[in-house]
Amino acid sequence: MIRPEVIQKFVSIVGKDRCKTSPEDLLTHSYDASILEFVPDAILFPVSTEEVSRIMALASAENVFVTPRGSASGLGGECLAKKGGILLSFTQMNKILEINTENRYAIVEPGIVIADFQKAVEAVNLFYPPDPGSATVASIGGAVMMNAGGMRGIKYGVTRDYLLGMEIVLPSGEVMKTGTITAKDVTGYDLTRLICGSEGTLAIATKITVRLLPKPKARRTLLAIYDDIDDAGKTVAKIVEAGIIPATMELMDKTVIKAVEEAFHLGLPLDAAALLLIDVDGDDATIERQSPLIAEFCQGQGARNVRTSSSEEENVQLWAARRAAFGCIARLRPTCLIEDATVPVNQMVKAIKKVKEICERNNVQIAVLAHAGDGNLHPLMLCDQRDKEEMARVEKAMDEFVEYAMTIGGTLSGEHGIGVNKAKYLPQQLSATSLKIQRGIKNVFDPQGILNPGSFLEVSPK
Amino acid sequence: MIAKELQEEVYNCIKCGICMNACPVYKQLHVEGAAPRGKVQLIKKIQEGKFDISEGFKNLLYTCLLCETCTVNCPSGVKIDRLFKAMRAEVLKKYKLPLLKRIMSTVLSSDQLLPFCMFWGRTLGNPLMALLPKNGKIGAISFSKLPKFNGKPLMDQYPEIISPSGKAQGRVIYFPGCANNFLFENVGNSTIKVLQRLGVEVVFPKDLKCCSLPIFLSGARQMALSNIKSNLSVFSRYDNVDAIIVDCATCGAAFKEEYVHILGEMGEDTKEAQKVKNKVMDISQYLAKFDLKKYLQPLKGRVTYHDPCHLVRSQKIKDEPRALLKQIPGLDFAEMVGADVCCGGGGTFQLDHPDISVSITKNKIQSIRNTGADTVASGCPGCRLQINGNLGNEKIRVVHPIELLAEAMGKV
Repeated sequence: MIRPEVIQKFVSIVGKDRCKTSPEDLLTHSYDASILEFVPDAILFPVSTEEVSRIMALASAENVFVTPRGSASGLGGECLAKKGGILLSFTQMNKILEINTENRYAIVEPGIVIADFQKAVEAVNLFYPPDPGSATVASIGGAVMMNAGGMRGIKYGVTRDYLLGMEIVLPSGEVMKTGTITAKDVTGYDLTRLICGSEGTLAIATKITVRLLPKPKARRTLLAIYDDIDDAGKTVAKIVEAGIIPATMELMDKTVIKAVEEAFHLGLPLDAAALLLIDVDGDDATIERQSPLIAEFCQGQGARNVRTSSSEEENVQLWAARRAAFGCIARLRPTCLIEDATVPVNQMVKAIKKVKEICERNNVQIAVLAHAGDGNLHPLMLCDQRDKEEMARVEKAMDEFVEYAMTIGGTLSGEHGIGVNKAKYLPQQLSATSLKIQRGIKNVFDPQGILNPGSFLEVSPK
Repeated sequence: MIAKELQEEVYNCIKCGICMNACPVYKQLHVEGAAPRGKVQLIKKIQEGKFDISEGFKNLLYTCLLCETCTVNCPSGVKIDRLFKAMRAEVLKKYKLPLLKRIMSTVLSSDQLLPFCMFWGRTLGNPLMALLPKNGKIGAISFSKLPKFNGKPLMDQYPEIISPSGKAQGRVIYFPGCANNFLFENVGNSTIKVLQRLGVEVVFPKDLKCCSLPIFLSGARQMALSNIKSNLSVFSRYDNVDAIIVDCATCGAAFKEEYVHILGEMGEDTKEAQKVKNKVMDISQYLAKFDLKKYLQPLKGRVTYHDPCHLVRSQKIKDEPRALLKQIPGLDFAEMVGADVCCGGGGTFQLDHPDISVSITKNKIQSIRNTGADTVASGCPGCRLQINGNLGNEKIRVVHPIELLAEAMGKV
């Protein structure tokens, strides 16, 4: 608990309206999109770097825990006040400060929702490619701290690949700049990319500078339907091997297809075993060349049917459906735990088989979604969190799958992060030396350990 | 507590957050408690006995337009608006309605008070309105933009059976709604005129009551019950009718969606409500089967259309009103960006939260301006008040689509 007189000092920084302590506010800031819950002691809504700096200086002086939060769409409790204290919400610090068309960069505040930012830059014919499934919810600040990936990873990479620099506030309250606005920068250690993906444990971003691309002239969506999920997986491997780089390659299995169809009524075939949703983008010539080529690969690997979208409206609909897949799954069972292990692309077919086998053996209901072009699997484990016995089986299945992913050269998490739940697996992937260095880095930034306490490094086994 | 099947809804919320950026109120406040996800989670805590209905919870629950945007966007299919509507009734078991809403609900649900108030409204209100300060406001709407009372309630202007011109091609019941009955008589007159012209006999029962949607959506279900039952029994009196015609989005939503749910959740018989649900049609829906072209004279200007929440989401009516407008020769139809985004009125929401309301309406007005239209059509009196009330001094007319159609049909 934070002493009332300390709360008063925080109030004097942000004002009464932007310091919330009512039980309703605390409860509505106790969750993210996972099943974890931690109730904070107070929520502050800063709107300027100066406020954040003063908040952190005070927190340091009073030894108060602070956890930064964007839109709370994360899947591992990263933005929750795991040890109580202050939750620092950036939902009201959400302006676009600059869109520079000459040098193709933009500077934004952390709270802006990714999709809103994308829309704004696309209006001036620029393009911010990182596109997590939750882009209509997630904030850029959250995406930076989690190094969010998403659907365009195969061609365009992830959030980290578009970061030029940041203005950050250290746990001490000191304000610091990292990076530049130039396209190249090798001056000193690359702190920008270190902080990106740090799950909010090193520093708080108050301004974020991102690189933009020219907006692709056009895009086309292909929908390939399969009677066997293996064939869909093989198609992906073949396309990647052939050196063709579509903008996205998403895989859905029959359970996901069913849930999505129920919500969106797009006319997806309910008897299909799997489908691939593939986007090609670029100039017209590229699209005209690539899309028949990709369609051929799909058919060559056994696709029953390949449909090419006829309009941008249809593209938008298909992708809205894909974006909502996680939510759609809740139509089948109340709780959905989403795995995020990522494997080499040529191992994906095997990994999908394995995860299904593991779930079957543990009597766990499963649906498979994947950013297939990246080998980024999202097995969705369907359950009901009120059923303790079932949840134990789900956890066992997850343990087994993670272990398996490690043996074939995969990683614990492709894009969702480690958070609370996956911390126990850390030593399986990171050596003792690596963990020692990571803890050392944390200590340099946050010697008091007040920023986002209870995060992955702390809760991982020593 | 709320009905069992609704209680289960909270467990289907996976907390993905897609509802948040869809919610017009959240987009203004950027506080989780204002977001649908936040309220659903609080309701879950209340159901599980981990949190009590509180003043703060009540305020959050009413910081909601009930625009249903969250519900239609929820990929998990959580019936968010149904949950909120039911919870409002729960909240009222512990807290009273605010005075203004209590007076409004009492008047709307009373046989004697409503005509009484409306009589004095038009006798004294219309002249008095001229004396109100020009820059004053009621809720989000400036005094100067308030509509005048009808000289005579619409109901008193017509006989019970209105014969069509020529041979009868059909027979419908007409439900005028309080707004048209007392304020926007030209909407009702237009509907009746168009129906007459098309050869439809109109039955206009004199004992219809307020649909009561504003009452039961504020949570006062018990208060609304006698009106609901009375309307259902009036409708059931006439069996050889093709449809029950409604030209108010809100009343339509009440009959087509709310009555069945509310009665069911209150443990009342829903048989009549179910029958009525299947008979009720928005005027734009009913007219879709007619070939109107031969009746229509050209109009001038450019029109844009605003989707009322109670039509586009509650009743899933999107194309029919547009089709009516597009058929009118000479009239240029321009689709606005975000036509189906809530105007920010939300019935009595604009009274409770004028600041939030106006900031939402501003975006709508800008969207209207961008079309260059001189007329906005919308089939909801609430939207009409809200949009017109915030238009400033621009010469943009706000009408019901049926008014334009009647104009295009010329004098009968």
